[in-house]
Amino acid sequence: MLDLLKKLFAGDKNGSRQAANDRLRVVLTHDRLGTSPELMETLKEEIIAVIARHVDIDGRPEVRIIGEGRQSAVDISIPLKGR
Amino acid sequence: MDKKNADSQVIVVTSGKGGVGKTTAVANLSTGLARQNYKVAVMDLDIGLKKLDLILGLENRVIYDIIQVAEGECTLKQALVKDKRFPGLYMLPAAQTRNKEDITGDQVKQICDELREDFDYIFIDCPAGIEQGFKNAIFAADKAIVVTNPEVSAVRDADRITGILESQQFKDISLLINRIRPDMVKSGNMLSIDDLLEHLCIKLLGVIPEDKNVVVSTNKGEPIVLNDNTPAAVAFNNVVRRLLGEDVPIMNLEESFWQRLKNHLFGN
Repeated sequence: MLDLLKKLFAGDKNGSRQAANDRLRVVLTHDRLGTSPELMETLKEEIIAVIARHVDIDGRPEVRIIGEGRQSAVDISIPLKGR
Repeated sequence: MDKKNADSQVIVVTSGKGGVGKTTAVANLSTGLARQNYKVAVMDLDIGLKKLDLILGLENRVIYDIIQVAEGECTLKQALVKDKRFPGLYMLPAAQTRNKEDITGDQVKQICDELREDFDYIFIDCPAGIEQGFKNAIFAADKAIVVTNPEVSAVRDADRITGILESQQFKDISLLINRIRPDMVKSGNMLSIDDLLEHLCIKLLGVIPEDKNVVVSTNKGEPIVLNDNTPAAVAFNNVVRRLLGEDVPIMNLEESFWQRLKNHLFGN
């Protein structure tokens, strides 16, 4: 009974629409850039390595592609160690 | 009959993915405009796999085709099939036994230029794909309508097509969402209008709901836009009004159970 009630009130969250949107975001980004997820990994590692050569990194770096309309940008967030 | 506009518009209706509703859109938008006394020509560029004649119910009146026009076997006027329902609506059929490499973009452009002299609107029914047929279809067009379904592979193809159109300097690209099911959007199992706009980032021309009556209209060769009582027809008519410059809000696609029952029992 509780399961039935849960399903009735679950709304969007358990539907497949979310999965479709998430998958499309990834696929469209890579289609537009001609990249693959493997390339993204390589890009991330190399960017972090380059920055690490010059400054100390403190914490977990983030490299990702963000979409702005039909344009894409590489968004890099690398926490640096203070003195 | 003289055309109404000094400036004709050549509009390509494209999608990438096949079967999303390009031909249906061309048939209905052109019929809707012709009903408003505009002079409209429709060109079937799906050479080898023609469909526009069938959707418009004109398949028995085809004598010449676009390849014969391009090769000089007949004049454009001889090939244009006049729709008996509307004096301003003409169709230029595709060839069925040729293929898309048998005509060039320049030849299509030449035909469009000739059509511009007499017609207010020229719709090009673009074939699926991104090969020669597609390239021919977009070459002469002033604006593009990208048709998509709220479904992942259709959206992916629409995105690719949009990218190509942008790279070909198209400034006027709009989106026609076809076959949306509001019940499935509501239950979280279909991409919504906002989802599609978020992914594709082009301006919205219109939204056509899934409508069983479209199958019936295709069976009969009578574009659904002529049946004023059904949601898809209302939606297509709204798109026609938007093409003519009117600001028409996207219709509320969610009908309550009782409203549908009432319509079913008592008609509109």
